[in-house]
Amino acid sequence: MTDAPQAPETEPYVSKIDRRTALAWVGVVGAATAVGGVVVFGPRMGLERITHGYGTDPKLTKPEKAPWSRIMIGPQLQTAAILADYILPASGAAPSASSLGVPDFIDEWVSAPYPQQVKDRPVILNGLNALGGQVLRGDAAARARALAALPAAADAPTQAFWKKFRHLTIGAYYTTPAGFKDIGYIGNVARTSDPGPSAEVKAALEAQFKKLGL
Amino acid sequence: MAAADSPKLNGPYDVIIVGSGAGGGMSAYHLTKSGLKVLMLEAGRDYDPRVETPMFNTNAEAPLRGVGTPDKPFGFYDATVDGGWQVPNEPYTVAEGSEPFTWWRPRMLGGRTNHWGRIALRFGPLDFKPKSRDGLGYDWPITYDDLAPWYDKTEKLIGVSGAAPPRNLLNTPDSPPGCLMEAAPPRAFEIFYERAFRAMGIPVIPMHGAVVTGQMEGRNTCLFATPCGRGCAIGANFQSTTVLIPPAMATGNLTIRTNALVYQVDLDKTGKAKGVSFVDRKTGEHHSVTARAVVLAAGSGETARILLNSKSGAFPNGLCNTHGMVGRYLMDSVGLGVTGQFPALEGLPPTNDDGQGTQHTYIPWWGYEKQKELGFPRGYHIEIGGGRRMPSMGMAGLLPDDETSVGDELRAKLRNRFGSTIGFDGRGEMIPNDDCYCELDPTVRDKWGIPVLRFHWKWGESETNQAAHMVKTFLEVIDRLGGKPEKGVETDGRKAISKGGEMIHEIGTARMGHNDADSVVNQFGQSWAVPNLFVMDGAVMVSSPDKNPTLSILALAWRSADNLATLAKQGAI
Repeated sequence: MTDAPQAPETEPYVSKIDRRTALAWVGVVGAATAVGGVVVFGPRMGLERITHGYGTDPKLTKPEKAPWSRIMIGPQLQTAAILADYILPASGAAPSASSLGVPDFIDEWVSAPYPQQVKDRPVILNGLNALGGQVLRGDAAARARALAALPAAADAPTQAFWKKFRHLTIGAYYTTPAGFKDIGYIGNVARTSDPGPSAEVKAALEAQFKKLGL
Repeated sequence: MAAADSPKLNGPYDVIIVGSGAGGGMSAYHLTKSGLKVLMLEAGRDYDPRVETPMFNTNAEAPLRGVGTPDKPFGFYDATVDGGWQVPNEPYTVAEGSEPFTWWRPRMLGGRTNHWGRIALRFGPLDFKPKSRDGLGYDWPITYDDLAPWYDKTEKLIGVSGAAPPRNLLNTPDSPPGCLMEAAPPRAFEIFYERAFRAMGIPVIPMHGAVVTGQMEGRNTCLFATPCGRGCAIGANFQSTTVLIPPAMATGNLTIRTNALVYQVDLDKTGKAKGVSFVDRKTGEHHSVTARAVVLAAGSGETARILLNSKSGAFPNGLCNTHGMVGRYLMDSVGLGVTGQFPALEGLPPTNDDGQGTQHTYIPWWGYEKQKELGFPRGYHIEIGGGRRMPSMGMAGLLPDDETSVGDELRAKLRNRFGSTIGFDGRGEMIPNDDCYCELDPTVRDKWGIPVLRFHWKWGESETNQAAHMVKTFLEVIDRLGGKPEKGVETDGRKAISKGGEMIHEIGTARMGHNDADSVVNQFGQSWAVPNLFVMDGAVMVSSPDKNPTLSILALAWRSADNLATLAKQGAI
């Protein structure tokens, strides 16, 4: 558990996108600048928002960046980083959610033009705005209290925000190679044959069958 | 794939094939190998799985982690181009008062064979004579024995896994020795669920999957790694684009024109088909092409639409529709699923459950001899998914809805539950009825002004009672295995049953039969009304057995194409 009070981050969250991708994006986003291997999004003043999806025939082998403009602003990203790391902080060899770019993914999700994501947008953004007021200012103890209070929040909007944000954070985290490692997914590798489960797995199943009377 | 938007269209061609999926691909394969010059017209774009398949991509590389969107309903990596439940510029309608109907269409070479589930089950002897068995539905004009040799040939050609000692189960044919490749071994969750079915006296047997699991000349063996629904860059599973079209092209007898949306069969003065007309989806230009014979294999819906739109003085209600049979007897599979979570599978040592892409084992219908007692006349088989598969955005669903842990506790719970859920899906037979059909919508047209299909749908009690039994069975199995079903399982079959068309097994709009009063085509797909017009897709099917239709579409198309080739050699077309 990580519900002990923690000191506020001394470094602000910066998007976790490599420099090459960042440079490729600049033409699309316009206001992104690559600094030291990470991307910092500036205000998108004067730019027309892109609101279309990736279409019905996107490139699949080398997917391009989702085309829609990102809408989250600095404090929302910072709050998302704090909350994502409350849900999945670094632990042993497993990296933190923010270091895997989960806040960027949340931004990609809430900015997307599709019905599910449009529905989630106010839930997430309103939740981040409300939480931001509590976790971006104040001391470590206040922040810890605000985060720990989320799961038990009585009001429906906060409940919905907590569930949705946690759902997105878990999904975003475990769909990465680091997430595969943490959860024990060892597939997606070419094999010459499928040997089936090991003797150890079969023995574990047999033990369960005995308990179930099967 | 060497297909093109504007190859020379001046021929001469012996045969025009409309469509490039299972029926069109197989027809082209056999007809070109028989020495006939073939023009294949595909409504979608050229598509080459060898360079377009995202084999090992992770969800993290895809927008929105690969979740389904209206642009890509089955997920970002699904091998469906320009389509899904809706195709841009090509609407369809559902009649007022109808139950829901939905229609999956891609616009790509190879059609739905690029993303299909690779479940390759033979229909059984009873499936061809359902009316003789229980008085319901209609009998086919052929028997299992008529099609069996073509099943043998098809399995050997496309590569099907699942070889096992003969079991002699009723209406669940064993393939003869040499037809199937080795079965992939059951994974942990498959070993697990087998025990519950065994206790219920229900056999679990190897799935027949259109995946190359052994050594096969000219084919690569499965890598036991990536989802077949993305397609296969190494051609280890069956897609028309990797298995049928390349050898057809290699004969030098096949020309492929893509983005060609066929809307009409053209007749000559004698009433024979002289060719077809199509609109180029990119330019909007209309073209007419000619050949000695025409094969429709555009998929049951599009095939019916082409026939209905082919109106003339002799056929004012559409070609081959003098008796109002075109569009009738539309069927789909009954479908529904229930997921369970199993404490007994928690904490198993990590194991690679990627497997052959499709299921390794399945449950064929076991109740043929007690249908009356069960309260519904036709059966279903069970397709079961589970294991430690590549994580998706749904990972939080592993935990109870009210679970709120974070940090190391959350990590431990997810690790423990990973691979502990199993999804049970039924696929059942539907009996054709008078309320399920398609016709031309009187007012709605597509972008190019061509009338679109309007669907009518209503499940019968035979289907909804069957659906209720599926749920009951799945809940019993979940209980026997010490699991808990997902919340909110619907036990009322009328509510739990899938939408019409949702199983993407729509078939039967131009069925085969004994004469022109009871059917559109004969047992070889040759239309009664126009002797050089053939149908070689699922439209010809007379019943909709629980077994997924693709293998039968392939076998029927091969048999029909062989007959067409013979007629061509005889100068009979």
